[in-house]
Amino acid sequence: MSSTKKSIIVSYSATPSFITSSSWTQILQTLQSQLPLRNIHWKSSSRTSIRTIHQLDVSLVNLDNVRDELASQVPTTLLERPLLNIYVITCENNDLEAYRATVKRQIKEWHTTVSPRKNQEWLILHVVRADTRVQSGAFFTLKGSVLDKVRADFNTEKRERCVQLVWSPGGTKPAAWAEFLNKLRDGILSAFESAVIQREDEVRRSEGQRQMPGWNFCTFFILKESLATSFEGMTVYDDALVVYEELEVSFEQVLKEKNLSWFGPLITPTSNDDSAPLLTISKKPYRGLILANNISVFDFRIYLLSRQCELLAKAGRLTEVCQKVGVFLSNFGRRLREAESEMAPYFVESWIYSSALSVVDQCDTWASNADVDAKRPAFNAGKAELLEFARNQLDMLGIEKEFLPKKPPFTNALLSSTHRNQKSSSTESISNTQLSAAVTNQESFYDLYIHTTNRAIDLYAKSGRRKFALKLHGSLAALDLHRGQLETTPTRLESALTTYNSLPAHYAPHKWISLESVMLARALETHDIANKSKDREWIHILLAFFKTYAETLGADLLMPEESKVDYVSQLVGALSKAVSELTTDLSHPDHPAFKIRVSSSAIPDETRDGSYLEVSVHNSLPCSIPITEVSVVLAGRDSERFRFTFPGESLAPGKTDFKLFCPIPCHGSFLLDSSEVRMDRLLLQWSHRKTIHNTKSSSARSIAKDNHVLVRVPQDLLAFDIRLRQPPLVALGAPPSLLVAVSTGRNEVSSASLKLSAPSITFDCEDVTVFTKGLTQPDSTPDHILLRDLPKDKEVELLIPHSDASTMHSIKVTIEVNYTTVAEPSINRNLRLTRVITTTLPVSVNVEDFFRGNRLFSKFIVSTISHQHVRISDARLEPPDESSGLKILACSSSKRGIITVTPAQPAQFLFQINSDGPVREALSLDITYRMLQHAEVEFVVEEAVECAIKETPSWKIHRIPLISKLIKMLETDASWVEMYGISGELHIAGSPGSDDILQDPVDAMLQAHKRPSALAGPWHEIKIPVDVPVMNIVAAARIQISAAKDTALYAGQPISATLSVHSSFHWGTSANDKERKYVMQYDVEEMVKEWLVSGKKRGTFIATDEGTFSVPLTLVALHHGEFVLPKVMVNALPLADVDTMGSMAIPNTETYQVHGAEKVLISPRGGRSTFVLGMGST
Amino acid sequence: MAPNLRLNAVAFISPQNHPILIRTFSKPDETAIKYHYIAHTSLDVIEERVSTKSSDCYLGLLYSMEDVAIYGYITPLKVKIVIALALSDSVVRDMEINMIFKALHMAYYSAISNPFLTLEESSGHDSSRSLLAGSPKWKNLRSRIDEIARIVGNSSGASTGG
Repeated sequence: MSSTKKSIIVSYSATPSFITSSSWTQILQTLQSQLPLRNIHWKSSSRTSIRTIHQLDVSLVNLDNVRDELASQVPTTLLERPLLNIYVITCENNDLEAYRATVKRQIKEWHTTVSPRKNQEWLILHVVRADTRVQSGAFFTLKGSVLDKVRADFNTEKRERCVQLVWSPGGTKPAAWAEFLNKLRDGILSAFESAVIQREDEVRRSEGQRQMPGWNFCTFFILKESLATSFEGMTVYDDALVVYEELEVSFEQVLKEKNLSWFGPLITPTSNDDSAPLLTISKKPYRGLILANNISVFDFRIYLLSRQCELLAKAGRLTEVCQKVGVFLSNFGRRLREAESEMAPYFVESWIYSSALSVVDQCDTWASNADVDAKRPAFNAGKAELLEFARNQLDMLGIEKEFLPKKPPFTNALLSSTHRNQKSSSTESISNTQLSAAVTNQESFYDLYIHTTNRAIDLYAKSGRRKFALKLHGSLAALDLHRGQLETTPTRLESALTTYNSLPAHYAPHKWISLESVMLARALETHDIANKSKDREWIHILLAFFKTYAETLGADLLMPEESKVDYVSQLVGALSKAVSELTTDLSHPDHPAFKIRVSSSAIPDETRDGSYLEVSVHNSLPCSIPITEVSVVLAGRDSERFRFTFPGESLAPGKTDFKLFCPIPCHGSFLLDSSEVRMDRLLLQWSHRKTIHNTKSSSARSIAKDNHVLVRVPQDLLAFDIRLRQPPLVALGAPPSLLVAVSTGRNEVSSASLKLSAPSITFDCEDVTVFTKGLTQPDSTPDHILLRDLPKDKEVELLIPHSDASTMHSIKVTIEVNYTTVAEPSINRNLRLTRVITTTLPVSVNVEDFFRGNRLFSKFIVSTISHQHVRISDARLEPPDESSGLKILACSSSKRGIITVTPAQPAQFLFQINSDGPVREALSLDITYRMLQHAEVEFVVEEAVECAIKETPSWKIHRIPLISKLIKMLETDASWVEMYGISGELHIAGSPGSDDILQDPVDAMLQAHKRPSALAGPWHEIKIPVDVPVMNIVAAARIQISAAKDTALYAGQPISATLSVHSSFHWGTSANDKERKYVMQYDVEEMVKEWLVSGKKRGTFIATDEGTFSVPLTLVALHHGEFVLPKVMVNALPLADVDTMGSMAIPNTETYQVHGAEKVLISPRGGRSTFVLGMGST
Repeated sequence: MAPNLRLNAVAFISPQNHPILIRTFSKPDETAIKYHYIAHTSLDVIEERVSTKSSDCYLGLLYSMEDVAIYGYITPLKVKIVIALALSDSVVRDMEINMIFKALHMAYYSAISNPFLTLEESSGHDSSRSLLAGSPKWKNLRSRIDEIARIVGNSSGASTGG
């Protein structure tokens, strides 16, 4: 057939002698080496854009070999005949005689045969030898060249049809050929164009005659197709495809008009039709059939498709081949099914199957020749689609043969409309051996099925179509499940289960819940069929399935509405059974089937310790779920955790309210930490404290915002509680301890064990002492204190020594208590409390010492360091022991009463200490004090309440709330302080809004309150060790005026006086050591306005114990008035004999002025006096 | 002649590839899963198309199966719409399909314009859930889609069958 010869024909001609000559053979060879033609731009007048032909094969044939006459009238390709005829002349360029004589005639002869031919161009090639060219290049060749002559003779039109080729036999220069090749190109194009235009006209004419009688579609088809083959030959595949597309459309039109007289039946099945390779044109003489008007629609369409695909393949558009075939197979498959009864059984399936596979193979062959790497994924996807298409045929066959169950996913391929009710009448069978084997043998069918599916999966994976691959994996799993069911082979079921287990993970991330749930349901089904024990794995699958159910509220389960509830409740039943058989707990986080909502505040139980929390659980499943417990954990500061539980029985669908109880008396604000629903061994847990950083989208952020749920638990004042206090006696320097007050509240505690801990502090629990009377010493181990049989309403105070904490302001003590009550011996309440106790004292003490000979006066200034008022009832200075011989006298009497120290006003205490010698041991200052508010007023309130309760016993139950309420009221308003300080009456500012039952007692009591006895109530005591400083020398300096006491002294009058310094070593290290001497220095103060001092104002002396040094002085008062005498400074000089640390040691000295309080009256003096003062010797 | 354009299923898929709504119009319930699969697998093809073709919303024929042809459309905000058309012999013009898509797009657009759509759910655990398949929220959209499917079936039946 003509279509096999695809290249352009160009004829050549010359004198027979030249043709046979070796030089022509050489030229021809060189010419052929320049071919094929490249980069031809065809600018057609009938087309808008320039078509670029990258490469065009040209075959050169001798004109004599070209058959001029057409063998048949059937229009074939336009390229069948030469598009260009070349005549080659070889005479010398200036050899005009030879030209005239012979060449011209030869050309003429050729020209007359060639030029009338339609749609053929001609070209005269003048071959000139390169060596002769030089000579012919002379100027002024008047006669002109042969080429000019040829032009003049033949080339009458504008178009240049003569070309000269400079031929050198040795080297072939491409440049030499350029002009010729250009001419060749132009010639071919123009011939081709005119041929195309002509043919297109013919086609148009034929198309116009459609409605006329006698018009034949097949003839028209052949005519128009010739155009396409011509384009194909010219490698303008796009144009060829357009032609075929137009043909396809007109074919559709013909079909629509039902004018099928030109065609045979829809299909005339031959034995191999179903298995023949689809795209192979050579398998049937299609053109012959068309020409004979008896081609079947089946064959016709296949021919059309094959041609199109071939062109697409040539154009490198292999992906489109796959798509086109896919569409064709599905479309035409449907048509074929309509006529199924005429065909062999399963003909259509077999045909589609074989065709799809053969096209894939064909495409691979094409692809191996062409470069389609750029579109590799899409190409693979196209092939995979075809393979899947083939696989779907197997689905149909399988269902038909009952190798496969008639349910999804196998039925996905099943056509909803067609039902094979009429059995095929044909007795033939399908020719695809693979298929026919598969149809009869179940095993080989399955093998084929798996093989085809795997091929498709492989290609999908290569093309990046993951989701298609997933779908096919699912169908493989379904097959495994089915086979496992049939053969009851556990391995198949196992693999099906594995696949079904892995598939949901692929659908879950994008919330394709419908598919995820199907996979999970299948996994459950497989599990059932495999008779596997309902183990943890099964429970996980089931929970995941419930999750999908809950997330869509069952809307996307893809199963009938009414069976859903049954199905789910059946599963729930199985779940509760499976769960009860588990040996260990199985926890599952964040299951969406249940939603737990917690109310924002808890309600204390009025009758026992603990509180209730209302929780509503929303069950999204359609049936009720058996549960054993609902619990919620609240988290406080630090690591406090409180668990509220309720032993529920079942969760009905929808909302269920529970009242959860926590027996531990806690109070404050807590964060909802987690919640939990327990079903025997299964724990469904929800954490309510998601960290924000793992949420990314904006919607997730809004979730995080309302994520933290705060729950307020009110304080239960009657609950078991533990407080820490400072001990009543604090001795600085002694090992510290703290007071633990255990109040039982409403509980009769049968046993309680305490454990205290604080960072960097150790508690010595073994040395605990009970502070409250009437209790035996508790059992205690080094880290536990065990209390037993504590009655109700009792406060037990325990004093626990601990390690030094003076570096800290406060200690944060964590107390772990474990207690059981008599009422509920089964509940062991485990309480973990954090209490803070300040270690600093509320007062600070400063001391000032004054030495006066053998006596020492110590002044203590006590000031408060907080903003609170401190009441001090007593302050004593105690000697270390009685035998020390110290005599201490307090300056103020003990009747002084209570002193209040405010931040603005410190208190002073003065003591006189008499001793026989220096005091080596520390004295201790004992201060009895209490805080005005925290101790005193609270006590007052408690007393008053106690009093009031005696009067009206019905208030007894309100005792603790009453006290705390009153104290709270005191704390909120400080206006009572002043009034209390003056009068002792406590006026609590009215508390509007407190309208509860306590209001009356409070008011009544406050009015009844009178000034309390001052000393009643608890007092704290601190013992501060006080060291008496060592003073080596105590010097008493004195200036004594010698004149008699009543002698009047006048200004300007010299007054003689004596300066005496008495030194005592009583308080020093060398007390009573008569031998000890110190060198000292004295200095009289200059008081230049009042006194002139004459005499030895400054000097040194030797001081001995109890020795006195005197020196005379003369004083002159400068004016009248009453003056103090000048002060005398006395210092010890550095010791010569004692050398400490390389520096001189100076003994410490205190000097006091004996005359410090004396004043001298100087009278004014009348008259005038002259004084002559000796200015010293010159 | 039966209407040559018959919608078998419509699927709306969110920009995050979450299903928004999958509506099937075929009778037996069992085949619903087929269209869920189709919607899911279409995402792969849409991804391929979007990466090559940039501006156009209409993605054309994605792929075809035995009895259905799958067409895709992507809104400027990347919501994907996939329809499954029953296959027929006649040539399906892209224009018509594009019109169906435009109508579906508008239906979706007006459905999400409802200001109360997500507000109701925001107090719940997960507000994004309301936009997912199976949510009862899409009642309005559903009825619009059904309407479109009905009109598509009718009108093309009238135009080509006549």
